[in-house]
Amino acid sequence: MIEVSGLRKAYPGVVALDGVSLQIRPHEVVGLAGENGAGKSTLLKALVGLVRPDSGTIRIRGREVRLRGVAQAATEGIGMVFQEQSLVPNLTAAENILLGCEGSAVRLGLYRWRRLRELAQAQLDKIGSRVDPMARTETLSFAERQMVEIAKVLAIEERTRAQPVVLLDEPTSVLEAEEIETLFGQIERLRKHASVVFVSHRLDEVLQVSDRVYVLRGGQVAGEVDPATAGAAGLHRMMIGAEATGSHYHDDLHRPPERSSVRLSVRGLCGEGFTDISFDLIRGEVVAVAGVHGSGREELCRALFGARAVTAGQVLIDGEAVSLTGPRRAVRAGLGYVPSERKVEGVVSAMSVADNMTLPYTRPQDVEEWIGRLRIKTPDRRTPIGSLSGGNQQKVVLARWLLTGSLRVLLLDHPTRGLDVGAKSEVYRLIRELAAAGVAVLLLADSLEECIALSDRVLVMKEGRVTVTLDTPPGAKPDPVDVVKEMV
Amino acid sequence: MTADRLQTYGPTAALLALAAVFAVLSPQFRTLGNLQNLLDAGAVLAVVTIGATYVLLLGCIDLSAAGVMGACALAVSLLVANSRTALDLGPLGVLLVVALGAAFGCLSGALSVGLKVPSFMTTLGVSAIGLGVATVLFAGVQPAVSDPWLLQWASGRWLGFTRVTYLAAAVVVLAWLVQRHTRLGRYATAIGGGEDILRLSGIQVGRYKVGAFTVAGACYGLAAAMVTAQLGSGIVQAGAGLSFAAITAAVVGGTQLAGGRGGIAHSMVGVLILTVLANGLVLIGVSPYVQRAVQGVIVVVAVGATLWPLRHRLEVVK
Amino acid sequence: MADAARVAGLRGRLAARVPERRHVVVTAMPVTAFLVLLAALAVASPALLETGSLLTLADSAAPLTVLAAGATVVVLCGGIDLSVAALASLASVLLASWVPALSGAAVPAVVAACAVAGAVQGLVHVAFRIPSFVVTLGGMTLWSAVALLASGAATVPMPDSTPTDWAFTRLGGLVPSAVLVALATVVALAALMRFTPLGRWVRAIGHAEPAARLAGLPIARVKVIAFALSGATAGLAGALLVARTFSGAPTLADSLLLPAVAAIVVGGTAITGGHGALWRTLVGAGIVTLLRVGLSYAGVDAAYESILYGVLIVGAVALTIDRSKLSIVK
Repeated sequence: MIEVSGLRKAYPGVVALDGVSLQIRPHEVVGLAGENGAGKSTLLKALVGLVRPDSGTIRIRGREVRLRGVAQAATEGIGMVFQEQSLVPNLTAAENILLGCEGSAVRLGLYRWRRLRELAQAQLDKIGSRVDPMARTETLSFAERQMVEIAKVLAIEERTRAQPVVLLDEPTSVLEAEEIETLFGQIERLRKHASVVFVSHRLDEVLQVSDRVYVLRGGQVAGEVDPATAGAAGLHRMMIGAEATGSHYHDDLHRPPERSSVRLSVRGLCGEGFTDISFDLIRGEVVAVAGVHGSGREELCRALFGARAVTAGQVLIDGEAVSLTGPRRAVRAGLGYVPSERKVEGVVSAMSVADNMTLPYTRPQDVEEWIGRLRIKTPDRRTPIGSLSGGNQQKVVLARWLLTGSLRVLLLDHPTRGLDVGAKSEVYRLIRELAAAGVAVLLLADSLEECIALSDRVLVMKEGRVTVTLDTPPGAKPDPVDVVKEMV
Repeated sequence: MTADRLQTYGPTAALLALAAVFAVLSPQFRTLGNLQNLLDAGAVLAVVTIGATYVLLLGCIDLSAAGVMGACALAVSLLVANSRTALDLGPLGVLLVVALGAAFGCLSGALSVGLKVPSFMTTLGVSAIGLGVATVLFAGVQPAVSDPWLLQWASGRWLGFTRVTYLAAAVVVLAWLVQRHTRLGRYATAIGGGEDILRLSGIQVGRYKVGAFTVAGACYGLAAAMVTAQLGSGIVQAGAGLSFAAITAAVVGGTQLAGGRGGIAHSMVGVLILTVLANGLVLIGVSPYVQRAVQGVIVVVAVGATLWPLRHRLEVVK
Repeated sequence: MADAARVAGLRGRLAARVPERRHVVVTAMPVTAFLVLLAALAVASPALLETGSLLTLADSAAPLTVLAAGATVVVLCGGIDLSVAALASLASVLLASWVPALSGAAVPAVVAACAVAGAVQGLVHVAFRIPSFVVTLGGMTLWSAVALLASGAATVPMPDSTPTDWAFTRLGGLVPSAVLVALATVVALAALMRFTPLGRWVRAIGHAEPAARLAGLPIARVKVIAFALSGATAGLAGALLVARTFSGAPTLADSLLLPAVAAIVVGGTAITGGHGALWRTLVGAGIVTLLRVGLSYAGVDAAYESILYGVLIVGAVALTIDRSKLSIVK
């Protein structure tokens, strides 16, 4: 059906796809596994024309195509169910299913609702869904909307008269166990009409539904796995690849935390996405929070910085209660936050290195000193930060919290996302140094490996609660597979 | 769900409450004659608000009614039998002016879509252009309309209502049908609900946006003809204050600034609220300037009320 | 493969250079336009270059410049203040009616009152998360209604003009004081932006509000201050107008809204926020004034002025806007 060969896509500073080749055959469910940043999303986007590869070819039914957008991909018979749902909330389910290709349901610009309903019903029938096609989409449950989304993707069948390929990007991440079972049933039905590409970070699910699994790592295909013979552990090892050495994580800089003094104390914190969270961070400790998408760890991290509403609970720093009413209060209390969306939330691209570093402060600061201390590669302090590499931008954000010397707790949300290996190692070194200086660090790591290697403890979050705490001191690190087991 | 219901029925309840209060306070408010006055007074605002509603459904905003109506009022008074030109086009003149309004609307939409400039800026600019055109056409001499057909729009009554009111009612019904059952109407609503999703589905969003702006412009053109019939002459200020009043009416009725929510039916409730308020305040002896002040406050309150449930979700408001 | 990498690298570098190119264009264009206009006018009418007529020209631009200066701060935050002209009209009415009681203190009192009015709009904007153009559109209606009520919809004559004489005189019989007031306003605001954290914060909020928020900036306070500054300069602009007409009127400054918005955007300040500066508004006001004068020299009917503002606003916004910030244009 689809043959991808040598696909390559580079963004400034990072290679997302580095010569990916794979095949998708008729009536087949192909699984894609890989860590964050392995290239899964980019690959799917390339297959629906949202990303234009720098080189390499995509052949569909033997014919080479250059996809320029979702609409063109649809005429080639490729449709995608997006991670964030792509339904217009204020339209009916039927309108969403046929959006942009109403065909005989619209004559001379006039809607023929009965015909529209019939056409939509036909799509819903294919997957045996009982959703009312005339219901307004926003009144449907999440699982029902997902059915509508799949029906919408299947409608492309009508346009191509060929068998479609359906790409499912993390379809299970926000579903309940029961809903997941229903979805798997749908995938089995889909197989009669289409080929399916299934992406999930839950390895057991990938193994359960797929006929074949491709493992991606660092933008390349690390291998092809037969689910009948491979287990989750083997799959995971393939995803991580060779174990990184301790020097990459600067283990030599690690100091055991001072057991006696509690820096950050979280008591019964509740908010949208997380419930009743309690834990302590001691001086010099690095605690990683592990959890899948939707576990509530991002929400918790932002709430601790006052950037999300908290409904109950208390946060103390060095024994003093902190008001969580806004980031400014949090900064005053000695908290620092490095957001995951660096370009949007971390830096102000158009402003200089110096301005970015000193943004929250009213008094002038010694910018030059920190450019030197953190080895930030910049022509000078007046250079717009947008022209620096990702790693150096991230160091400026870190410097922002370090330069007053009053930092007590640092919240790191995917601090190494999109950085190359060298830059990552630099950031690890900074984290180690900060911890050694007595700062308590809460880390949402970019990969499981990073999460375990860098931390003294790991808190596992699941459905908004901390379920397990694992000690991860140097020399006694747990197996990643055990941590994954707790996460899902 | 309760917030949803409040936004659906709240405006209607407010309208009934308002009418009840005025009915108690002013015996004159209760008369049949006043009902006729009220609807006649609301006719022009209704037509302008229909236009504004189409643009609001997209999630855009149209501040051009004042300028476009000025230009169209002058144009219509010069095209039908009048004191300044020898033209006497009658109904054709009105049609031409509706087309002129549509052209202005098309310009606003095309500038916004083509240059990727936010609509409040392009429509502010187009409003200025319209006012300029109006002033040029005015040329210091006010044209008095002498076309009996057009003048009868406002003077002749049938079952107690003027033709302007019937015309407005017809436009309301037509606009409602278009919004509910045509591709333009449904896509305009959909664009307000999720423009990016429509783009992903390969729909040429820009075309429908320009279409909605064009419909809005046509409404302003017709409204200008109605005002001109009422005044008997073409003036530059034919639409003064109406851009704002129309947006206020739409928002008060439950059509949301963010787009995709509300529609013609909601907006018309808003028009009735504003008209009843204006009429009632006059009857109980409140200065018209106070009414203006009230209008300024209610639009802010109405927008605030619709955004209040979402205040935690919106991180950036410009 | 290596070629592809090189192309990608080159693209990255080009992308980094785009802001610089944009910066040069946006900086050079308004100044060039201003000089070209001045030169064209001088050729058409050499008498214009005499000091006297240049100063008269500058004098006529003064109220507009003051009005636009404060509003520029709001635009730099990424918002807009459509209420400035109506507020200036209200200020003129208030000033004319307060002079008998307050005499010399009337001007500061009016400026303070307008600053409060601006701050209230800012507060409503940040507290209820209502878009600034809606709040200030509502404000525009409210302030002009208040002006109509306070004045009884009539011109309010000023019994004694001494408290405002300073704003409409010629120092040394030559330099119009209003020009100095306008320059002082621009310089004062520019200094505030340059030498206090406010400038950095306003720009950061305009460029990237999420980043500014997560850096712990006092977003709400900065925005309220910006609106208060805008209100204050609107009040001062109203005072300048009163000084030259010896009276206040409820619609005195209303026609200045479009030229003020035009002055801001023509100077090169982007309505998306962040990019821009106070001096640009000075240049923008100069361009708007020269165009107006130029049109009348060329014998074009004043009726075309409004068309000109409309075209200027749309054109300048289209040229200066930062489209990377608008994924969906509403």
